[in-house]
Amino acid sequence: MNHPTEEQLVLYHYGEVEGRQRIESHLEACESCRAGYQALQRVLEAVSALPIPQRTESYGAEVWRQLSGQIVKTPAPPRINFAHIFRWPRLALAGGLVLLVFVAFLAGRSWPRRGSETAPRMTQTKQLISPQARERVLLQEIGDHLERSQLALIELINSRTNGVVDISLEQSLARQLVDVNRLYRQSAVRLGDAGMASVLEDLERTLIEISNSPAKLSATEFTEFRRRIDTDDTLFKVKVVGSQVRAKERDVARELARKRS
Amino acid sequence: MMEDSDAVAVARARAGDQDAFGLLVERHSIRLFQLVYRMTGNEQDAEDIVQETFLRAYKQLGRFESRAGFGTWLHRIAANCSLDLLRRQQRRGDRERAVEFDAEEATPAVLSDAPTPDQQVFHGEVRQKVESAMRELTPMERTAFVLRHFEGRSIEEIGNMLGAGPGAAKQSIFRAVQKMRRALEPMVNATP
Repeated sequence: MNHPTEEQLVLYHYGEVEGRQRIESHLEACESCRAGYQALQRVLEAVSALPIPQRTESYGAEVWRQLSGQIVKTPAPPRINFAHIFRWPRLALAGGLVLLVFVAFLAGRSWPRRGSETAPRMTQTKQLISPQARERVLLQEIGDHLERSQLALIELINSRTNGVVDISLEQSLARQLVDVNRLYRQSAVRLGDAGMASVLEDLERTLIEISNSPAKLSATEFTEFRRRIDTDDTLFKVKVVGSQVRAKERDVARELARKRS
Repeated sequence: MMEDSDAVAVARARAGDQDAFGLLVERHSIRLFQLVYRMTGNEQDAEDIVQETFLRAYKQLGRFESRAGFGTWLHRIAANCSLDLLRRQQRRGDRERAVEFDAEEATPAVLSDAPTPDQQVFHGEVRQKVESAMRELTPMERTAFVLRHFEGRSIEEIGNMLGAGPGAAKQSIFRAVQKMRRALEPMVNATP
């Protein structure tokens, strides 16, 4: 008799297991598995009973009262409907990447170069979005990417070491971040922004190392792994550059808002 | 105005009607607070994140795809804001503060059926154990677990919401349940 694993029982509880009928029949027939499943149900019921502080019906109005002052200062951005540009999901994914490079390329021409008021000939596309708006989009995207990377590294560094450390979750995040990071690094190199390119290169190396490590590390391996990340100061550099990007984004946003008003 | 659907209110807000956005805030605040409180376990943090979520939503209104539903989109933003906060708190080592439930305002549902003093003590202990077990979860485990257990989101949806993929989401939920089980099973199965 094949008893369901604990993971299968958890997924069964949440209605997401494959072969639900088979497990159901098994639970009817197997007293031991049934007892195990009932124990699991009792635990999850106890969790469900955890109370939440109540909010009165006026809470929403109160939140809006506090928010409205801040929102008045920030105009709502226009809608960019990518789904209309790329209609099918797969095409949208491929298109998204191309668009990313494209936006990076276009916005790159207006990458912060203080004191140089360049007025390049505008292409038809560039006339649709102002250089500052493009710059803001790019800064926002890079800022988000650096923030996500920073948090992924923090999550990894803070993993608890109880004998074996499972970093499979962080690996999956790192793999997603590597591809995007590569695009930004290449854009930075093309623009001659050596500082940004260097940080992104360090970050990429770290992300690749995380992606290619074994999913489970011994406590010693993990300590060594963490030490290497600390020694390279990658996290610190990502944090500093991330803050600079956010500050620049805020400047551009303020400038845009000023022009609109 | 009050009968406007979210889609209509969003369209108006995009066109610059701030009252329409206010309507959305009023409509979704309580639900959002409940979600965020589950994730952070702290009232003040939850209120701050509700505000942060609406601010981010307003700034990103141009990116909203109406297919998803405005509420779902808000929950996605709130889940990520909560995840970020939990990670920052973990880094600062003040997670104890993050999960201090307010005993005075939070009325335990388990006590609602006129319990005996023994049951009160028992449920109080269970509650403390549950809170303590939730504290032991990593930020990703806690966020994924809350979205699955309390919000009823599918694993695939959670993977997409948190940008982690369904495999990682499934693992996080499973690890969270395992930890909760390890911490709570002896007590819960000894119900008086």
